[in-house]
Amino acid sequence: MATREEIAGAYAEWRQRSNANARLKKMVRGWDRVIHFATTDTTDAFTVEVVGQELSELTFGHVGTPDVIVTGSSEDFCDMFWGDLNPSEKYMSGEIILAGSQHDVMRIDAISMVAFLDQGA
Amino acid sequence: MSARASGPAHGVAPGTDSTATPVGLTHGGESLRRALGLRTVVSTSTGLAFAALEYLAAAGLVAYVAGDSAWIPIGVAGLLALLAWGFFGELNGMFPTAAAIRLYMKRSMDDRAALTITFTYMTTIVLVIAADAFIVGTALTHAFGEPRWVAAIWIVGLLGVAVFSNLRGVRVAGGVQDVATYIVLGATLVVGVLALTRSHHALRFPLNPLQGHSAGDLIEAVALGVFLYSAFEWVTTSAEEVRRPQHIHRGMLISVGLLFIVCSLVTVAMSHVLTHHQLISAYPQLDLGRAALGQAGLWVMAAVTAVTALNTFNGGFITASRFVYGTAREGSLPPQLALLNDRAVPWVPVVGLGGLSLVVALVVAVTGSWQVLVAVGAALEAMIYAVAAMCTLRLRARAPDQHRPFRLRGARALAVLGLVVFSALALVASVSVNNKLNPVPLVIIVCAGSLSAFYVLRILPKVRAAEEARRATTTRRRPDRTAPGPSAPTV
Repeated sequence: MATREEIAGAYAEWRQRSNANARLKKMVRGWDRVIHFATTDTTDAFTVEVVGQELSELTFGHVGTPDVIVTGSSEDFCDMFWGDLNPSEKYMSGEIILAGSQHDVMRIDAISMVAFLDQGA
Repeated sequence: MSARASGPAHGVAPGTDSTATPVGLTHGGESLRRALGLRTVVSTSTGLAFAALEYLAAAGLVAYVAGDSAWIPIGVAGLLALLAWGFFGELNGMFPTAAAIRLYMKRSMDDRAALTITFTYMTTIVLVIAADAFIVGTALTHAFGEPRWVAAIWIVGLLGVAVFSNLRGVRVAGGVQDVATYIVLGATLVVGVLALTRSHHALRFPLNPLQGHSAGDLIEAVALGVFLYSAFEWVTTSAEEVRRPQHIHRGMLISVGLLFIVCSLVTVAMSHVLTHHQLISAYPQLDLGRAALGQAGLWVMAAVTAVTALNTFNGGFITASRFVYGTAREGSLPPQLALLNDRAVPWVPVVGLGGLSLVVALVVAVTGSWQVLVAVGAALEAMIYAVAAMCTLRLRARAPDQHRPFRLRGARALAVLGLVVFSALALVASVSVNNKLNPVPLVIIVCAGSLSAFYVLRILPKVRAAEEARRATTTRRRPDRTAPGPSAPTV
């Protein structure tokens, strides 16, 4: 299991990469969303917002009404934020569960993929 | 290592814990900002099933039974659709995700068989999109009184617009989809009733489908009837965005009821007022409109036909392209199919789907063989219903304790029944076109299945090996927990 700090550290890396990626910023143009993350093993909760083409800092707990809810293990979230895990694989095997429109789910996957395209994910 | 240290970590907004709501594993879109209600689930399910091809399938069904009693095989097919509804309701409850078909098939059978069946089934989406482009193009050509070849231009234009709008990330909003679907159903009902009442003739054989026909014809009519309901289950791919999980199986149930009413009425009306020549044309719905309301009715039905394409193109392109994208991201299709454009749209599957549909639609326009499309679609749908029955049966044995929010009563017996009946219907539908023995649909399905199997057995292992090799050379970024010092990338 990954700790909150590990997840937060991983997210900080993800956020930095995403916000610095010009292509990704184009992809999330006009896509302002609230994303809730929930871990199944540590029952932690996190909130991320996408506002003005940028990912916000990670907030502990669920804040606001979500557009998308992502549920998975703390390890999977940590690996995903580091770019070591392809979330689609986990999603297609039922280990990551999503609630939200297909359109929003696609964007999240796009972020996870494009943010690490330079090195492969 | 489940330590929950307090205090902000790197990159975390400080002091937010106190304002947070309690942790809970929220499912089913209960608390989502944008969630689909029952009305939209019903319109999605019905709209996906009620494609323009529906009118031609309804007219084609008249060839198999004494016309006025066409509602009987449609009713029997409706009961079978209810059987399928039970299977999909249970499976969707167990796997409430857009990837459900991958999950329940993978857990019910060998993954290679699951992928082969899934890829073969995806042919249906190409066929339905192609058929709708052809039917709408032909209907508009006829309505405007243009020469037949102009239909090809309409087809190219319609599919071009569909591909372009998909690439731009344009989606039909739920509200627009609701209005479009209910207008199509309402207008079709009104036209059907008016056509019947204005014919001033009593129904001839409303209760005797075998008048002048054999029992075999009736079975083939039922197989075609199943096609009238087909795709109502595609709404299960919206399971992640509904307000309440039960909306999916309730919505599908209401959709089956609506489809029975509208399809029965339009089929009986067509059989009652149209000539044989009109029934076998590519636009029987326009002639039905004319019979009901004169030239205005023709235009109404031309408009309605065009509106059906909105749902088909929107639902078909999104469902198929996102599924291909997900399968490619999973590593079961070449990674090129997961390429995204700047609007986060998987452009290769969208363009490929558009191109493939265009080729099929133009071939149909040239050969006039739309009844073959109906037969292929009917057979593939019956096949996937048989597969759903098998998955329900297998998972009852393999995962008896898994939570089932919707539990089909008598599932084992019904699944065996469904497996037998839908397999038989698939076979019957695949060797008959317009009430004549014709193996072309079966040949098309065998070709699609063989191509899928060839890919899964021969090419996919290489795709996966290449992906494994790529991963083996990729450095893991996540810091090692045993390494001293603060978290830092190891790249």
